[in-house]
Amino acid sequence: MNSHLQKLENESIYIFRQAYRSIKNIAMLWSLGKDSNVMVWIAFKAFLGKIPFPLVHVDTGKKFKEMYDFRDKYEKEWKVKLIKGDCPPVEQIDASLPPAARSAARKTEGLKKILNRYEFKGIIAGIRRDEQGTRAKERIFSPRDESGKWDVKNQPPEFWDQSNFNYPNNVHIRIHPLLGWTEIDIWQYIKNQKIPIVDLYFSKNGKRYRSLGDKDITSPVSSEAKNLDEIINELKITKVSERSGRAMDHEQEDVFEKLRSKGYM
Amino acid sequence: MSFLENEEIPKVVIVGHVDHGKSSLIGRLMYDLDEVPSGKYEELKLVSEKRGMEFEFAFLLDALQAERDQGITIDTTQIFFKTKKRKYVFIDAPGHKEFIRNMITGASSADIAVLIIDAHEGLKEQTKKHAYLLKLLGLDNVICLFNKMDKINYDEKKFLKVEKELSQFINNIAVNIVATVPVSAKCGDNIIQKSKKLSWYNGQAFCEILDSYNLKKGNDDLPLRLPIQDIYKIDDKRVIVGRIETGEIKLNDELFFLPSNETVKLKSFEAWPKAKKKYVTGDNVGLTIEDQIFIDKGNLISHVKFPPKLMNTFEANIFWLSEKKLKIDKQYLMKINTGEYNIVISKVSKVLDTNNLSSKTLTLSPKKNDVCEVIIHSSQLIPMDDFKDNQKTGRFCILDEEKIIAGGIINLQNFPDQKDVIQTKNIKPISFSVTEIDRALRFNHRSAIIWMTGLSGSGKSTIAKEIEKKLFLKNYNVFILDGDNLRMGINRGLGFSTEDRTENIRRAAEVAKLFTQAGFIVIVSLISPYISERKKARDIKPEIFKEIFVKASIDECKKRDVKGLYSKAISGEIENFTGISSPYEDPKNPDLILNTERESIEESVNKLENFIIKEFGVIKNS
Repeated sequence: MNSHLQKLENESIYIFRQAYRSIKNIAMLWSLGKDSNVMVWIAFKAFLGKIPFPLVHVDTGKKFKEMYDFRDKYEKEWKVKLIKGDCPPVEQIDASLPPAARSAARKTEGLKKILNRYEFKGIIAGIRRDEQGTRAKERIFSPRDESGKWDVKNQPPEFWDQSNFNYPNNVHIRIHPLLGWTEIDIWQYIKNQKIPIVDLYFSKNGKRYRSLGDKDITSPVSSEAKNLDEIINELKITKVSERSGRAMDHEQEDVFEKLRSKGYM
Repeated sequence: MSFLENEEIPKVVIVGHVDHGKSSLIGRLMYDLDEVPSGKYEELKLVSEKRGMEFEFAFLLDALQAERDQGITIDTTQIFFKTKKRKYVFIDAPGHKEFIRNMITGASSADIAVLIIDAHEGLKEQTKKHAYLLKLLGLDNVICLFNKMDKINYDEKKFLKVEKELSQFINNIAVNIVATVPVSAKCGDNIIQKSKKLSWYNGQAFCEILDSYNLKKGNDDLPLRLPIQDIYKIDDKRVIVGRIETGEIKLNDELFFLPSNETVKLKSFEAWPKAKKKYVTGDNVGLTIEDQIFIDKGNLISHVKFPPKLMNTFEANIFWLSEKKLKIDKQYLMKINTGEYNIVISKVSKVLDTNNLSSKTLTLSPKKNDVCEVIIHSSQLIPMDDFKDNQKTGRFCILDEEKIIAGGIINLQNFPDQKDVIQTKNIKPISFSVTEIDRALRFNHRSAIIWMTGLSGSGKSTIAKEIEKKLFLKNYNVFILDGDNLRMGINRGLGFSTEDRTENIRRAAEVAKLFTQAGFIVIVSLISPYISERKKARDIKPEIFKEIFVKASIDECKKRDVKGLYSKAISGEIENFTGISSPYEDPKNPDLILNTERESIEESVNKLENFIIKEFGVIKNS
């Protein structure tokens, strides 16, 4: 592994161990996408082969079949404890949101249900700073109140690997071990470590998915990249943003900020 | 492009006074380097037009609606892009004085610092404060950019005037200026290439300076510093995990543990999927040791030859971030690496006025965003280094009410290393004949007070009995102190008034403490309805006290009414009954919650058992 990937892996392992040590009841989101598989992999390294907390799949019911197959296969193979949660129908979601964002917000509500039921105080999520402008402003340990709200104008200080961990009972902490990774880092790491991924990421008939979400609000991008090397080479030159195929990001100005401030990942 | 793959990626922080152009600079860089995602520039231009504002490059960074509305950066952003030579992470730090904590959050992880100054406005308050904070953050090489040259007609004389002002200031704080560059972020002058409008300037453009900047060498040649982050039990092994802050470690090393002052040989490295034979700075390691010694999270591992200092009094330069003023002799918590220690600030020697760097003598009561020099004292011995010797183990933060309120760097020049004091006097820090450590090693667990609080009928006694049985079968020394039983003996005569309840709890806590001195894990099962009383109980032995909230709603407890007490309380037959005629205050921050309404008793007991074993179990190395 090159020194850059080694450094990123080291940072992530440290965050995992710090979270496990400092927060009482934690779980990790497993969205089945490339980033969350990298997270699972690093968690194995952090905890020496056995992940001491459950994985959570917040299931919108609208994922690709390949993703469900992948989940069922690796739940067994990796011997992970998996919690599957469902999401309320779109009719119950804030109607002021534009359609795709409204649909995506189901996941926020699904997550809240799980948080309530299992009383998790920490949720590990695989977001990265380079994905989106508001994610670029995230803390590694980022508090959310009962409604999942992100108080972005008043974030706690975080320096020298020291963070705040103690919050009132109704607050949970989002933990972001991959915050400093970029898309290309993820792919180089997947290649280096031979981490399994859903094959929707590879080009078929001139198209591939760069980011996986719900079937109806995610579209593939034009690409000829059929394997890991080709994806890595493509990312070196592309100017198309990673989330360009996620309809919810593009409906209106700041819609993603709105989603996130209400508890989206 | 192969050079991109093996190179370290420098993190560059841009600091300076509000509105001097930090975000604009980064936005301009992205644009000129062709690193803006397709469509983004057009999208933001359109948005600006819609709002009737002139497009600014800062908009590429200020992702929050509020930031673009107000035209300022609120929180720090990190973005990624590449020049012709290498990749960078750029950190945009807010310049507004209200957001110093966000500036520090951003700048603390940087490798290179860029100070930006409006050439028209000159040095302002936050220019100076930021420059000084860079010093405290260990960033003592700074690239200085004089921005908005377009506003002063690219005039050399005006530039030289502000440049002189800056160098006088910077020299005073012993920060090294790598280069000073006149630029205009707005017009793109001297950003990625030299501008004809600034032909009088002989140096390189900003980007060229950046690309030729050599990163400071790593910490590999410093002595080993490995703070213990956690201790995992894997099968029969007790694995110490932590990150190497500096130095390296290999098989067969003799390891020196502080503050316990013990030397033990490294036995094995543990890792998934496979361990290496040697680990270096920045690596996370898992290891086991040859002998049984008592170690804990926060201890610091070094080699015998170059150990850190062991201190209980030292000097520090700190930045204060809290709305509340610093209080002399108040107890704060200090976190240094993975260790936590109780400290007091016994003296404030100086409060720096970063504007002119004179020290204020009139007021020695630091307030939010002040930088000051203090003496810190602790009743515990703390392993640490002078910041000048080792930045990683020479810095710390201070917490109040479990929130970070300050950060600082350590100066050990005038204070003795307590390790030497202990060794010369040949006194061991613990002088009891049989120590807590001895007992813990014999019993394979540490002592503990497991304080179960909750309404009558919530399930405390049931869980207590089950957990006692389970732990006893695992050879734990465990004993229950039950509210009802205590009332039949030592607490006989105490009623249910507020005063009597308080005394009841005080006695229970004192008895529990005695048991812990004998090495027991004591399960205390008491309604203990008041937050203040439970806090008093915790204060008797806080390091081993765990508050367990046995949670069930009052309706559920009434429904269960195991002892038939609720019906009597409702009918008025019993007075002062918690939940009916007397309040119960939910724990604000319990160490564990057992929700008996949602979990089966078995689930609750298992949860508690895992918790106790994780927190207090000790496994001997075979």
